[in-house]
Amino acid sequence: MKTRIFLPLAGVLLLAVSGCRTSMNTVENAQKEGQRQMVSDQRVVTDASLADKVSVVGVNQAMTPGGLLKIQIELLNRRHSLQRFSYQFEWFDANGMQVNNVASPTVPSQIDGGEDKFITSVAPTPTCKDFRVKFVEN
Amino acid sequence: MKKNVILSLLAAVLPLIVGGCGSQAHYIQTGGRESVVTVSGINIQDFIQAADAATSDLLASGKLDKVANPPAVLAISRIINNTGQQIDTDLLTKKIRVALLNSGKAQTTTTMGLGGTAEDPMAKGLQQEAEFKSDQKATRTPDFTLSGKIIETVARTGNTSQSTYSFQLSLTDTQTGLAVWEGEKEITKQGSRPTVGF
Repeated sequence: MKTRIFLPLAGVLLLAVSGCRTSMNTVENAQKEGQRQMVSDQRVVTDASLADKVSVVGVNQAMTPGGLLKIQIELLNRRHSLQRFSYQFEWFDANGMQVNNVASPTVPSQIDGGEDKFITSVAPTPTCKDFRVKFVEN
Repeated sequence: MKKNVILSLLAAVLPLIVGGCGSQAHYIQTGGRESVVTVSGINIQDFIQAADAATSDLLASGKLDKVANPPAVLAISRIINNTGQQIDTDLLTKKIRVALLNSGKAQTTTTMGLGGTAEDPMAKGLQQEAEFKSDQKATRTPDFTLSGKIIETVARTGNTSQSTYSFQLSLTDTQTGLAVWEGEKEITKQGSRPTVGF
């Protein structure tokens, strides 16, 4: 009698759990032509939960043809479920002063379970030398 | 006696609790995480995101650097609103203009506009007066024009509604008439409609 109740329940639970789980397989060229210029980064973590779920794999930079700093951050979702977060880039000049940017959005983003994705930003002016990115869980 | 004391205390505390839960008017960061998000409309954070994406992409392309006499001069052409809402396209273009000006890569003319209408008629008048007095053409022809379109795509299934707003922009070289840069930013929002009411 008990089994009759538990079996359908277990089935429903399994469906519910598997419905939330996402994962991702990828394929890419093994012999890379491009060479990333990695940046040594400094991290401040106050939300360990988010840092654990959506981790920063690495940061690399490049210069645009117009002499603007371009930053790319590689993120990895260590979990098997979709994670929602927001990020915002801040830029600083050679004196460490924050550069005011009229269009500096808090960008809502999401990352599938097991996914590795990149977020990028271009400095608003050639005077920008440093950057900081804020991550917040949604 | 004891009951009265407890009741009095509760009566004193209750308004504080209720008052604390009320939504009082307060300031929030424009475009920040506390901003209201609606599926059926373009919110301010959408304009900020679209402007930032377009500006970053345009600056990274380096097209503005390829002018003979930098910084490049830009004229704002037609931005078509193909959504069902009444929106001021300056919410998009002004942010792009300010960002480009701050970058030092481009300046926007305010004395030339669609159909000969100037954004700043006084500046245009003064410029024409100066040209007449000096008998020399002072107006610099824009190197580029910026045009675009905002499109809304709506989808619904059950109680879930979804809107995609496409912000399409083109930078055209005025010498050749060719689009030298084109950008598109799509923002999709999804939400459930209430089952009761509107």
